[in-house]
Amino acid sequence: MTEAMNTNDADATRQPAGQVLDAHLHVLDRQVLDRDAVPVTTVDDLELDGIELGARIEPGSPPPTVSAILTGPQLAMRLFGGHAPAARRIAIPWRLVADIGTVVRLGVSGDDLDAGWVERWVSRHLIGRIPGGRHDPE
Amino acid sequence: MKRLFAVALGVLTAIGGFVDIGDLVTNAVVGSRFGLGLAWVVLVGVVGICVYAQMAGRVAAVSGRATFEIIRERLGPRAGLANLAASFLINLLTVTAEIGGVALALQLATSVDPGWWIPVAAFGVWIVIWRAKFELLENVTGMLGLALIVFAVALFMLSPDWGQLAGQALQPGPPAEEPVATYWFYAVALFGAAMTPYEVFFFSSGAIEERWTVEDLAKSRLNVLVGFPLGGLLSIAIAGCAAVVLLPRAIDVTSLSQVVLPVAEAGGKVALAFVIVGILAATFGAALETTLSSGYTLAQYFGWSWGKFRRPARAARFHLAMIIGILIAVGILATGVDPILVTEYSVVFSAVALPLTYLPILIIANDREYMGDHVNGRAMNVVGQVYLVIILAAALTAIPLLIVTGAGA
Repeated sequence: MTEAMNTNDADATRQPAGQVLDAHLHVLDRQVLDRDAVPVTTVDDLELDGIELGARIEPGSPPPTVSAILTGPQLAMRLFGGHAPAARRIAIPWRLVADIGTVVRLGVSGDDLDAGWVERWVSRHLIGRIPGGRHDPE
Repeated sequence: MKRLFAVALGVLTAIGGFVDIGDLVTNAVVGSRFGLGLAWVVLVGVVGICVYAQMAGRVAAVSGRATFEIIRERLGPRAGLANLAASFLINLLTVTAEIGGVALALQLATSVDPGWWIPVAAFGVWIVIWRAKFELLENVTGMLGLALIVFAVALFMLSPDWGQLAGQALQPGPPAEEPVATYWFYAVALFGAAMTPYEVFFFSSGAIEERWTVEDLAKSRLNVLVGFPLGGLLSIAIAGCAAVVLLPRAIDVTSLSQVVLPVAEAGGKVALAFVIVGILAATFGAALETTLSSGYTLAQYFGWSWGKFRRPARAARFHLAMIIGILIAVGILATGVDPILVTEYSVVFSAVALPLTYLPILIIANDREYMGDHVNGRAMNVVGQVYLVIILAAALTAIPLLIVTGAGA
Protein backbone atom coordinates (compact mmCIF):
# COMPACT_ATOMS: atom_id res chain seq x y z
CA MET A 1 0.00 0.00 0.00
CA THR A 2 1.53 3.28 -1.08
CA GLU A 3 -1.57 5.35 -0.44
CA ALA A 4 -1.65 7.31 2.76
CA MET A 5 -4.88 7.40 4.70
CA ASN A 6 -6.22 10.81 5.47
CA THR A 7 -8.50 10.25 8.45
CA ASN A 8 -10.91 12.90 9.65
CA ASP A 9 -8.63 14.14 12.42
CA ALA A 10 -5.41 14.04 10.45
CA ASP A 11 -3.26 17.13 10.49
CA ALA A 12 -4.27 19.28 7.52
CA THR A 13 -0.77 20.62 7.04
CA ARG A 14 0.79 17.18 6.69
CA GLN A 15 1.30 16.38 3.01
CA PRO A 16 1.69 12.63 2.54
CA ALA A 17 3.19 11.25 -0.63
CA GLY A 18 0.94 9.31 -3.01
CA GLN A 19 -2.82 9.27 -3.50
CA VAL A 20 -4.85 10.89 -0.72
CA LEU A 21 -8.07 9.12 0.25
CA ASP A 22 -10.73 10.28 2.64
CA ALA A 23 -11.54 7.22 4.73
CA HIS A 24 -15.14 8.29 5.19
CA LEU A 25 -15.76 9.23 1.57
CA HIS A 26 -13.63 6.74 -0.35
CA VAL A 27 -13.46 3.63 1.79
CA LEU A 28 -16.42 3.29 4.17
CA ASP A 29 -19.49 1.55 2.72
CA ARG A 30 -17.66 0.53 -0.42
CA GLN A 31 -18.04 -2.95 -1.90
CA VAL A 32 -15.16 -5.32 -1.12
CA LEU A 33 -14.27 -7.74 -3.95
CA ASP A 34 -11.86 -10.63 -3.70
CA ARG A 35 -9.08 -11.60 -6.13
CA ASP A 36 -11.64 -13.11 -8.54
CA ALA A 37 -14.01 -10.11 -8.37
CA VAL A 38 -16.46 -12.03 -6.16
CA PRO A 39 -18.19 -9.73 -3.63
CA VAL A 40 -17.08 -10.49 -0.07
CA THR A 41 -18.77 -7.80 1.99
CA THR A 42 -19.14 -4.06 2.29
CA VAL A 43 -16.68 -1.97 4.32
CA ASP A 44 -18.88 -1.71 7.42
CA ASP A 45 -16.19 -0.01 9.52
CA LEU A 46 -12.44 0.49 9.78
CA GLU A 47 -10.10 -0.42 12.64
CA LEU A 48 -7.49 2.24 13.42
CA ASP A 49 -4.23 1.57 15.23
CA GLY A 50 -2.30 4.15 17.18
CA ILE A 51 -5.29 6.15 18.39
CA GLU A 52 -7.36 5.82 21.57
CA LEU A 53 -11.07 6.57 21.42
CA GLY A 54 -11.76 9.71 23.46
CA ALA A 55 -8.10 10.30 24.30
CA ARG A 56 -6.46 13.63 23.53
CA ILE A 57 -4.14 13.62 20.53
CA GLU A 58 -0.79 15.16 21.47
CA PRO A 59 0.73 17.45 18.82
CA GLY A 60 3.50 15.68 16.94
CA SER A 61 2.22 12.19 17.72
CA PRO A 62 2.53 9.69 14.84
CA PRO A 63 -0.54 9.46 12.54
CA PRO A 64 -2.89 6.53 13.13
CA THR A 65 -2.85 3.71 10.60
CA VAL A 66 -5.73 1.65 9.27
CA SER A 67 -5.23 -1.92 10.44
CA ALA A 68 -8.37 -3.72 9.26
CA ILE A 69 -11.71 -3.62 7.49
CA LEU A 70 -14.44 -4.57 9.95
CA THR A 71 -17.70 -6.27 9.05
CA GLY A 72 -20.50 -8.42 10.47
CA PRO A 73 -21.73 -7.12 13.85
CA GLN A 74 -19.88 -3.88 13.15
CA LEU A 75 -22.67 -2.79 10.79
CA ALA A 76 -25.20 -3.00 13.61
CA MET A 77 -22.85 -0.93 15.79
CA ARG A 78 -22.76 1.79 13.18
CA LEU A 79 -26.51 1.64 12.69
CA PHE A 80 -27.61 1.58 16.30
CA GLY A 81 -24.49 2.59 18.26
CA GLY A 82 -22.75 0.66 21.02
CA HIS A 83 -19.64 -1.49 21.04
CA ALA A 84 -19.00 -5.03 19.93
CA PRO A 85 -16.63 -7.08 22.08
CA ALA A 86 -13.31 -7.45 20.28
CA ALA A 87 -13.76 -11.23 20.17
CA ARG A 88 -16.86 -10.94 18.01
CA ARG A 89 -15.33 -8.61 15.45
CA ILE A 90 -14.91 -9.93 11.95
CA ALA A 91 -11.85 -8.28 10.48
CA ILE A 92 -10.11 -8.35 7.13
CA PRO A 93 -6.48 -7.32 7.74
CA TRP A 94 -5.59 -4.18 5.81
CA ARG A 95 -2.48 -5.81 4.33
CA LEU A 96 -4.77 -7.98 2.18
CA VAL A 97 -6.09 -4.91 0.35
CA ALA A 98 -4.62 -4.71 -3.14
CA ASP A 99 -6.33 -1.70 -4.64
CA ILE A 100 -8.88 1.01 -3.85
CA GLY A 101 -11.03 2.50 -6.58
CA THR A 102 -14.80 2.63 -6.70
CA VAL A 103 -14.44 -0.74 -4.95
CA VAL A 104 -11.93 -2.16 -2.48
CA ARG A 105 -10.10 -5.10 -4.06
CA LEU A 106 -8.40 -7.81 -2.03
CA GLY A 107 -5.38 -9.74 -3.21
CA VAL A 108 -6.68 -13.06 -1.85
CA SER A 109 -9.64 -15.35 -2.40
CA GLY A 110 -12.69 -14.59 -0.24
CA ASP A 111 -13.20 -18.31 0.42
CA ASP A 112 -10.57 -18.37 3.16
CA LEU A 113 -11.65 -15.24 5.00
CA ASP A 114 -13.59 -15.14 8.27
CA ALA A 115 -15.76 -12.46 6.66
CA GLY A 116 -17.24 -15.11 4.36
CA TRP A 117 -18.44 -17.57 6.98
CA VAL A 118 -22.17 -16.73 6.80
CA GLU A 119 -22.14 -17.05 3.02
CA ARG A 120 -20.31 -20.37 3.27
CA TRP A 121 -22.70 -21.65 5.93
CA VAL A 122 -25.81 -20.78 3.91
CA SER A 123 -24.20 -22.24 0.81
CA ARG A 124 -23.17 -25.50 2.47
CA HIS A 125 -26.23 -26.17 4.61
CA LEU A 126 -29.13 -24.64 2.67
CA ILE A 127 -28.62 -23.56 -0.93
CA GLY A 128 -26.07 -26.24 -1.84
CA ARG A 129 -28.46 -28.96 -0.68
CA ILE A 130 -31.30 -27.97 -3.02
CA PRO A 131 -31.01 -29.97 -6.29
CA GLY A 132 -29.24 -27.92 -8.95
CA GLY A 133 -27.73 -25.55 -6.43
CA ARG A 134 -24.19 -26.46 -7.35
CA HIS A 135 -24.67 -26.35 -11.12
CA ASP A 136 -24.32 -23.53 -13.60
CA PRO A 137 -27.64 -22.11 -14.86
CA GLU A 138 -28.76 -23.45 -18.25
CA MET B 1 -26.87 -9.10 -38.26
CA LYS B 2 -26.00 -10.53 -34.88
CA ARG B 3 -25.85 -7.02 -33.45
CA LEU B 4 -29.23 -6.20 -34.91
CA PHE B 5 -30.62 -9.31 -33.27
CA ALA B 6 -29.10 -8.34 -29.92
CA VAL B 7 -30.75 -4.93 -30.12
CA ALA B 8 -34.04 -6.41 -31.25
CA LEU B 9 -34.03 -8.73 -28.27
CA GLY B 10 -33.23 -5.87 -25.95
CA VAL B 11 -36.12 -3.91 -27.34
CA LEU B 12 -38.49 -6.80 -26.86
CA THR B 13 -37.26 -7.11 -23.32
CA ALA B 14 -37.99 -3.51 -22.56
CA ILE B 15 -41.55 -3.84 -23.83
CA GLY B 16 -42.10 -6.98 -21.81
CA GLY B 17 -40.45 -5.34 -18.82
CA PHE B 18 -42.51 -2.19 -18.98
CA VAL B 19 -46.00 -3.62 -19.19
CA ASP B 20 -46.77 -5.62 -16.06
CA ILE B 21 -49.81 -6.31 -13.91
CA GLY B 22 -49.64 -2.75 -12.56
CA ASP B 23 -49.81 -1.19 -16.03
CA LEU B 24 -52.47 -3.64 -17.23
CA VAL B 25 -54.82 -2.98 -14.33
CA THR B 26 -54.18 0.74 -13.81
CA ASN B 27 -54.50 1.61 -17.49
CA ALA B 28 -57.73 -0.35 -17.83
CA VAL B 29 -59.17 1.21 -14.67
CA VAL B 30 -58.22 4.69 -15.83
CA GLY B 31 -59.51 4.08 -19.36
CA SER B 32 -62.86 2.87 -18.05
CA ARG B 33 -63.27 5.99 -15.90
CA PHE B 34 -61.50 8.82 -17.69
CA GLY B 35 -61.16 7.56 -21.27
CA LEU B 36 -57.85 8.79 -22.63
CA GLY B 37 -57.98 11.84 -20.33
CA LEU B 38 -54.87 10.62 -18.47
CA ALA B 39 -52.89 9.49 -21.52
CA TRP B 40 -50.56 12.44 -20.92
CA VAL B 41 -49.45 10.83 -17.64
CA VAL B 42 -48.27 7.76 -19.56
CA LEU B 43 -46.23 10.06 -21.80
CA VAL B 44 -44.70 11.82 -18.78
CA GLY B 45 -44.03 8.45 -17.16
CA VAL B 46 -42.40 6.97 -20.27
CA VAL B 47 -40.03 9.91 -20.68
CA GLY B 48 -39.28 9.65 -16.94
CA ILE B 49 -38.46 5.94 -17.00
CA CYS B 50 -36.29 6.54 -20.09
CA VAL B 51 -34.30 9.23 -18.25
CA TYR B 52 -34.00 7.15 -15.08
CA ALA B 53 -33.14 3.83 -16.75
CA GLN B 54 -30.73 5.49 -19.14
CA MET B 55 -28.81 7.04 -16.22
CA ALA B 56 -28.85 3.83 -14.15
CA GLY B 57 -27.80 1.75 -17.17
CA ARG B 58 -24.98 4.15 -17.97
CA VAL B 59 -23.75 4.17 -14.36
CA ALA B 60 -23.79 0.37 -14.29
CA ALA B 61 -22.03 -0.01 -17.65
CA VAL B 62 -19.32 2.58 -16.96
CA SER B 63 -18.61 2.04 -13.26
CA GLY B 64 -19.68 -1.59 -12.91
CA ARG B 65 -21.61 -0.63 -9.77
CA ALA B 66 -25.31 -1.44 -9.40
CA THR B 67 -27.94 0.89 -7.95
CA PHE B 68 -28.02 -0.24 -4.34
CA GLU B 69 -24.25 -0.41 -3.88
CA ILE B 70 -24.26 3.24 -4.84
CA ILE B 71 -27.17 4.12 -2.57
CA ARG B 72 -25.31 2.62 0.42
CA GLU B 73 -22.08 4.40 -0.51
CA ARG B 74 -23.71 7.78 -0.94
CA LEU B 75 -26.30 7.75 1.83
CA GLY B 76 -24.32 5.82 4.43
CA PRO B 77 -25.60 2.81 6.39
CA ARG B 78 -28.53 4.44 8.20
CA ALA B 79 -30.26 6.38 5.44
CA GLY B 80 -29.29 3.55 3.11
CA LEU B 81 -31.04 1.02 5.36
CA ALA B 82 -34.19 3.15 5.57
CA ASN B 83 -34.12 3.37 1.80
CA LEU B 84 -33.55 -0.38 1.50
CA ALA B 85 -36.45 -1.14 3.84
CA ALA B 86 -38.87 1.06 1.88
CA SER B 87 -37.71 -0.16 -1.53
CA PHE B 88 -37.63 -3.80 -0.47
CA LEU B 89 -41.12 -3.78 1.07
CA ILE B 90 -42.68 -2.06 -1.93
CA ASN B 91 -40.86 -4.44 -4.22
CA LEU B 92 -42.19 -7.37 -2.19
CA LEU B 93 -45.70 -5.96 -2.64
CA THR B 94 -45.03 -5.88 -6.38
CA VAL B 95 -43.76 -9.50 -6.33
CA THR B 96 -47.03 -10.43 -4.63
CA ALA B 97 -49.05 -8.56 -7.24
CA GLU B 98 -47.18 -10.14 -10.16
CA ILE B 99 -47.43 -13.71 -8.83
CA GLY B 100 -51.12 -13.05 -8.22
CA GLY B 101 -51.31 -11.72 -11.79
CA VAL B 102 -49.81 -14.93 -13.18
CA ALA B 103 -52.41 -16.90 -11.21
CA LEU B 104 -55.22 -14.69 -12.54
CA ALA B 105 -53.97 -15.08 -16.12
CA LEU B 106 -53.89 -18.85 -15.66
CA GLN B 107 -57.41 -18.64 -14.28
CA LEU B 108 -58.53 -16.79 -17.43
CA ALA B 109 -57.06 -19.59 -19.51
CA THR B 110 -58.41 -22.52 -17.51
CA SER B 111 -61.28 -21.29 -15.29
CA VAL B 112 -59.51 -22.99 -12.38
CA ASP B 113 -59.64 -20.89 -9.20
CA PRO B 114 -56.49 -18.72 -8.80
CA GLY B 115 -55.98 -20.13 -5.30
CA TRP B 116 -54.81 -23.35 -6.97
CA TRP B 117 -52.57 -21.51 -9.39
CA ILE B 118 -50.69 -19.37 -6.84
CA PRO B 119 -48.34 -22.15 -5.63
CA VAL B 120 -47.82 -23.26 -9.25
CA ALA B 121 -46.96 -19.72 -10.33
CA ALA B 122 -44.63 -19.21 -7.37
CA PHE B 123 -42.84 -22.50 -7.99
CA GLY B 124 -42.52 -21.62 -11.68
CA VAL B 125 -40.94 -18.28 -10.84
CA TRP B 126 -38.51 -19.91 -8.42
CA ILE B 127 -37.43 -22.77 -10.70
CA VAL B 128 -36.73 -20.37 -13.57
CA ILE B 129 -34.65 -18.12 -11.31
CA TRP B 130 -32.90 -21.17 -9.89
CA ARG B 131 -31.99 -22.88 -13.15
CA ALA B 132 -32.45 -20.70 -16.25
CA LYS B 133 -29.81 -18.43 -17.76
CA PHE B 134 -30.41 -14.71 -17.56
CA GLU B 135 -30.60 -14.15 -21.34
CA LEU B 136 -33.04 -17.03 -21.75
CA LEU B 137 -35.54 -15.77 -19.21
CA GLU B 138 -35.28 -12.22 -20.57
CA ASN B 139 -35.75 -13.18 -24.21
CA VAL B 140 -38.55 -15.72 -23.82
CA THR B 141 -40.77 -13.55 -21.65
CA GLY B 142 -40.00 -10.45 -23.72
CA MET B 143 -40.84 -12.22 -26.96
CA LEU B 144 -44.10 -13.76 -25.72
CA GLY B 145 -45.02 -10.48 -24.02
CA LEU B 146 -45.18 -8.96 -27.49
CA ALA B 147 -48.52 -10.75 -27.87
CA LEU B 148 -49.90 -7.80 -25.90
CA ILE B 149 -49.79 -5.85 -29.18
CA VAL B 150 -53.20 -7.42 -29.63
CA PHE B 151 -54.50 -4.52 -27.48
CA ALA B 152 -53.44 -2.07 -30.21
CA VAL B 153 -54.90 -4.31 -32.92
CA ALA B 154 -58.14 -4.61 -30.96
CA LEU B 155 -58.39 -0.85 -30.66
CA PHE B 156 -58.34 -0.55 -34.46
CA MET B 157 -60.78 -3.45 -34.89
CA LEU B 158 -63.24 -1.74 -32.55
CA SER B 159 -63.29 1.14 -35.09
CA PRO B 160 -63.73 3.78 -32.39
CA ASP B 161 -64.62 7.43 -32.90
CA TRP B 162 -61.00 8.59 -33.22
CA GLY B 163 -62.01 12.24 -32.94
CA GLN B 164 -63.60 11.60 -29.58
CA LEU B 165 -60.55 9.67 -28.29
CA ALA B 166 -58.21 12.42 -29.49
CA GLY B 167 -60.47 14.96 -27.82
CA GLN B 168 -60.16 13.11 -24.47
CA ALA B 169 -56.39 12.87 -24.83
CA LEU B 170 -55.88 16.49 -25.84
CA GLN B 171 -58.11 18.05 -23.22
CA PRO B 172 -56.64 16.82 -19.97
CA GLY B 173 -58.39 17.67 -16.75
CA PRO B 174 -60.91 16.00 -14.49
CA PRO B 175 -64.31 15.25 -16.07
CA ALA B 176 -67.31 17.01 -14.56
CA GLU B 177 -68.74 13.91 -12.89
CA GLU B 178 -65.50 12.89 -11.10
CA PRO B 179 -63.91 14.73 -8.14
CA VAL B 180 -60.64 16.54 -8.84
CA ALA B 181 -58.79 14.53 -6.17
CA THR B 182 -59.77 11.22 -7.79
CA TYR B 183 -58.40 12.40 -11.12
CA TRP B 184 -55.07 13.29 -9.56
CA PHE B 185 -55.00 10.08 -7.52
CA TYR B 186 -55.18 8.06 -10.73
CA ALA B 187 -52.61 10.33 -12.33
CA VAL B 188 -50.16 9.46 -9.52
CA ALA B 189 -51.06 5.75 -9.71
CA LEU B 190 -50.47 5.71 -13.47
CA PHE B 191 -47.16 7.51 -13.01
CA GLY B 192 -46.14 4.94 -10.36
CA ALA B 193 -47.13 2.09 -12.69
CA ALA B 194 -44.96 3.52 -15.48
CA MET B 195 -41.97 4.39 -13.28
CA THR B 196 -41.81 1.36 -10.99
CA PRO B 197 -38.44 1.31 -9.15
CA TYR B 198 -37.87 -2.42 -9.77
CA GLU B 199 -37.55 -1.72 -13.49
CA VAL B 200 -34.42 0.29 -12.69
CA PHE B 201 -32.96 -2.15 -10.12
CA PHE B 202 -33.43 -4.84 -12.72
CA PHE B 203 -32.10 -2.78 -15.62
CA SER B 204 -28.93 -1.71 -13.81
CA SER B 205 -28.23 -5.11 -12.22
CA GLY B 206 -29.06 -6.77 -15.54
CA ALA B 207 -26.45 -4.62 -17.25
CA ILE B 208 -23.89 -6.08 -14.84
CA GLU B 209 -25.26 -9.63 -15.30
CA GLU B 210 -24.71 -9.21 -19.03
CA ARG B 211 -21.30 -7.62 -18.40
CA TRP B 212 -22.01 -4.38 -20.19
CA THR B 213 -19.12 -2.00 -20.68
CA VAL B 214 -18.73 1.49 -22.14
CA GLU B 215 -19.03 -0.06 -25.63
CA ASP B 216 -22.55 -1.18 -24.83
CA LEU B 217 -23.80 2.33 -24.08
CA ALA B 218 -25.31 2.77 -27.55
CA LYS B 219 -27.15 -0.52 -27.17
CA SER B 220 -28.42 0.56 -23.76
CA ARG B 221 -29.67 3.86 -25.15
CA LEU B 222 -31.47 2.17 -28.04
CA ASN B 223 -33.08 -0.40 -25.72
CA VAL B 224 -34.37 2.37 -23.52
CA LEU B 225 -35.46 4.77 -26.23
CA VAL B 226 -37.32 2.19 -28.31
CA GLY B 227 -38.47 -0.35 -25.75
CA PHE B 228 -40.05 1.88 -23.10
CA PRO B 229 -41.94 4.15 -25.57
CA LEU B 230 -43.37 1.05 -27.27
CA GLY B 231 -44.41 -0.18 -23.83
CA GLY B 232 -46.05 3.22 -23.30
CA LEU B 233 -47.96 2.88 -26.59
CA LEU B 234 -49.27 -0.49 -25.42
CA SER B 235 -50.35 1.13 -22.15
CA ILE B 236 -52.30 3.78 -24.03
CA ALA B 237 -53.85 1.09 -26.24
CA ILE B 238 -55.04 -0.74 -23.09
CA ALA B 239 -56.59 2.47 -21.79
CA GLY B 240 -58.05 3.18 -25.26
CA CYS B 241 -59.72 -0.24 -25.43
CA ALA B 242 -61.24 0.32 -22.00
CA ALA B 243 -62.34 3.83 -23.03
CA VAL B 244 -64.18 2.50 -26.10
CA VAL B 245 -65.86 -0.56 -24.61
CA LEU B 246 -66.08 -0.15 -20.83
CA LEU B 247 -66.53 3.62 -20.33
CA PRO B 248 -69.84 3.97 -22.25
CA ARG B 249 -71.33 1.02 -20.33
CA ALA B 250 -70.00 2.29 -16.98
CA ILE B 251 -68.24 -1.04 -16.29
CA ASP B 252 -65.78 -0.74 -13.39
CA VAL B 253 -62.60 -2.74 -13.76
CA THR B 254 -62.26 -5.01 -10.74
CA SER B 255 -60.84 -8.13 -12.37
CA LEU B 256 -58.57 -9.24 -15.17
CA SER B 257 -61.52 -10.52 -17.20
CA GLN B 258 -62.75 -6.93 -17.54
CA VAL B 259 -59.30 -5.82 -18.69
CA VAL B 260 -59.42 -8.30 -21.58
CA LEU B 261 -63.16 -7.87 -22.34
CA PRO B 262 -62.59 -5.25 -25.10
CA VAL B 263 -60.06 -7.48 -26.82
CA ALA B 264 -62.42 -10.45 -26.75
CA GLU B 265 -65.21 -8.29 -28.11
CA ALA B 266 -63.04 -7.01 -30.97
CA GLY B 267 -61.25 -10.17 -32.03
CA GLY B 268 -63.10 -13.10 -30.52
CA LYS B 269 -61.39 -16.25 -29.31
CA VAL B 270 -58.18 -15.84 -31.31
CA ALA B 271 -57.56 -12.37 -29.90
CA LEU B 272 -58.43 -13.64 -26.43
CA ALA B 273 -55.83 -16.41 -26.79
CA PHE B 274 -53.21 -13.84 -27.77
CA VAL B 275 -54.03 -11.52 -24.91
CA ILE B 276 -53.89 -14.35 -22.36
CA VAL B 277 -50.48 -15.46 -23.63
CA GLY B 278 -49.33 -11.84 -23.54
CA ILE B 279 -50.58 -11.22 -20.00
CA LEU B 280 -49.13 -14.50 -18.80
CA ALA B 281 -45.72 -13.67 -20.28
CA ALA B 282 -45.77 -10.06 -19.07
CA THR B 283 -46.77 -10.91 -15.49
CA PHE B 284 -44.45 -13.92 -15.33
CA GLY B 285 -41.58 -11.84 -16.70
CA ALA B 286 -42.34 -9.09 -14.20
CA ALA B 287 -42.56 -11.67 -11.38
CA LEU B 288 -39.04 -12.82 -12.32
CA GLU B 289 -37.76 -9.24 -12.48
CA THR B 290 -39.28 -8.19 -9.17
CA THR B 291 -38.10 -11.35 -7.39
CA LEU B 292 -34.58 -10.85 -8.72
CA SER B 293 -34.77 -7.19 -7.72
CA SER B 294 -35.55 -8.13 -4.12
CA GLY B 295 -32.38 -10.25 -4.11
CA TYR B 296 -30.34 -7.57 -5.88
CA THR B 297 -31.27 -4.78 -3.45
CA LEU B 298 -30.49 -6.81 -0.32
CA ALA B 299 -27.25 -8.30 -1.69
CA GLN B 300 -25.97 -4.97 -2.95
CA TYR B 301 -26.65 -3.17 0.32
CA PHE B 302 -24.91 -5.82 2.43
CA GLY B 303 -22.17 -6.58 -0.08
CA TRP B 304 -23.17 -10.22 -0.63
CA SER B 305 -22.21 -12.17 -3.71
CA TRP B 306 -25.08 -11.95 -6.22
CA GLY B 307 -26.00 -12.59 -9.81
CA LYS B 308 -27.62 -15.18 -12.00
CA PHE B 309 -24.35 -15.72 -13.85
CA ARG B 310 -23.05 -17.47 -10.72
CA ARG B 311 -24.23 -20.91 -9.68
CA PRO B 312 -26.64 -20.61 -6.72
CA ALA B 313 -24.15 -22.05 -4.22
CA ARG B 314 -21.78 -19.19 -5.13
CA ALA B 315 -24.46 -16.57 -4.39
CA ALA B 316 -26.11 -18.38 -1.51
CA ARG B 317 -27.58 -15.52 0.52
CA PHE B 318 -28.87 -13.87 -2.67
CA HIS B 319 -30.81 -17.02 -3.56
CA LEU B 320 -31.96 -17.60 0.01
CA ALA B 321 -33.35 -14.04 0.14
CA MET B 322 -35.33 -14.60 -3.06
CA ILE B 323 -36.74 -17.92 -1.80
CA ILE B 324 -37.89 -16.21 1.39
CA GLY B 325 -39.34 -13.33 -0.65
CA ILE B 326 -41.38 -15.70 -2.82
CA LEU B 327 -42.64 -17.54 0.29
CA ILE B 328 -43.75 -14.26 1.87
CA ALA B 329 -45.56 -13.28 -1.34
CA VAL B 330 -47.35 -16.65 -1.39
CA GLY B 331 -48.21 -16.15 2.29
CA ILE B 332 -49.79 -12.77 1.55
CA LEU B 333 -51.78 -14.21 -1.37
CA ALA B 334 -52.85 -17.20 0.77
CA THR B 335 -54.80 -14.82 3.00
CA GLY B 336 -57.20 -14.52 0.07
CA VAL B 337 -56.44 -10.86 -0.62
CA ASP B 338 -57.44 -9.76 -4.13
CA PRO B 339 -54.26 -9.50 -6.28
CA ILE B 340 -55.85 -6.61 -8.21
CA LEU B 341 -56.14 -4.68 -4.94
CA VAL B 342 -52.50 -5.46 -4.07
CA THR B 343 -51.56 -4.18 -7.52
CA GLU B 344 -53.44 -0.91 -7.05
CA TYR B 345 -51.66 -0.25 -3.76
CA SER B 346 -48.27 -1.32 -5.09
CA VAL B 347 -48.30 1.26 -7.91
CA VAL B 348 -49.21 4.08 -5.52
CA PHE B 349 -46.45 3.14 -3.07
CA SER B 350 -44.02 2.82 -5.98
CA ALA B 351 -44.60 6.51 -6.62
CA VAL B 352 -43.91 7.21 -2.93
CA ALA B 353 -40.56 5.37 -2.94
CA LEU B 354 -39.30 6.65 -6.26
CA PRO B 355 -37.28 9.70 -5.08
CA LEU B 356 -35.30 7.49 -2.66
CA THR B 357 -33.61 5.67 -5.53
CA TYR B 358 -33.83 8.34 -8.21
CA LEU B 359 -31.81 11.01 -6.40
CA PRO B 360 -28.66 8.93 -5.67
CA ILE B 361 -28.54 7.81 -9.31
CA LEU B 362 -28.86 11.41 -10.50
CA ILE B 363 -25.96 12.40 -8.21
CA ILE B 364 -23.68 9.52 -9.24
CA ALA B 365 -24.40 10.13 -12.93
CA ASN B 366 -22.63 13.46 -12.36
CA ASP B 367 -19.67 12.04 -10.38
CA ARG B 368 -16.45 11.88 -12.40
CA GLU B 369 -14.84 9.39 -10.01
CA TYR B 370 -17.38 6.83 -11.15
CA MET B 371 -18.26 8.06 -14.60
CA GLY B 372 -15.09 9.59 -16.05
CA ASP B 373 -16.09 11.41 -19.23
CA HIS B 374 -19.50 9.76 -19.31
CA VAL B 375 -21.12 12.10 -16.78
CA ASN B 376 -24.51 13.63 -17.58
CA GLY B 377 -24.51 16.30 -20.25
CA ARG B 378 -26.19 19.62 -19.60
CA ALA B 379 -29.44 18.71 -21.39
CA MET B 380 -29.65 15.41 -19.49
CA ASN B 381 -29.20 17.26 -16.19
CA VAL B 382 -31.95 19.75 -17.01
CA VAL B 383 -34.36 16.92 -17.84
CA GLY B 384 -33.13 14.96 -14.82
CA GLN B 385 -33.85 17.85 -12.48
CA VAL B 386 -37.26 18.59 -13.98
CA TYR B 387 -38.11 14.95 -13.31
CA LEU B 388 -36.76 15.19 -9.78
CA VAL B 389 -39.41 17.86 -9.14
CA ILE B 390 -42.16 15.79 -10.79
CA ILE B 391 -41.15 12.65 -8.88
CA LEU B 392 -41.05 14.51 -5.57
CA ALA B 393 -44.48 16.03 -6.25
CA ALA B 394 -45.96 12.61 -7.04
CA ALA B 395 -44.32 11.04 -3.98
CA LEU B 396 -45.50 13.74 -1.57
CA THR B 397 -49.10 13.82 -2.83
CA ALA B 398 -49.55 10.05 -3.24
CA ILE B 399 -50.52 9.15 0.33
CA PRO B 400 -52.70 12.23 1.01
CA LEU B 401 -54.57 11.52 -2.25
CA LEU B 402 -54.88 7.84 -1.33
CA ILE B 403 -56.55 8.79 1.96
CA VAL B 404 -58.72 11.63 0.63
CA THR B 405 -60.11 9.59 -2.26
CA GLY B 406 -60.41 6.30 -0.36
CA ALA B 407 -58.05 4.68 -2.92
CA GLY B 408 -59.93 6.18 -5.84
CA ALA B 409 -63.36 4.86 -4.89
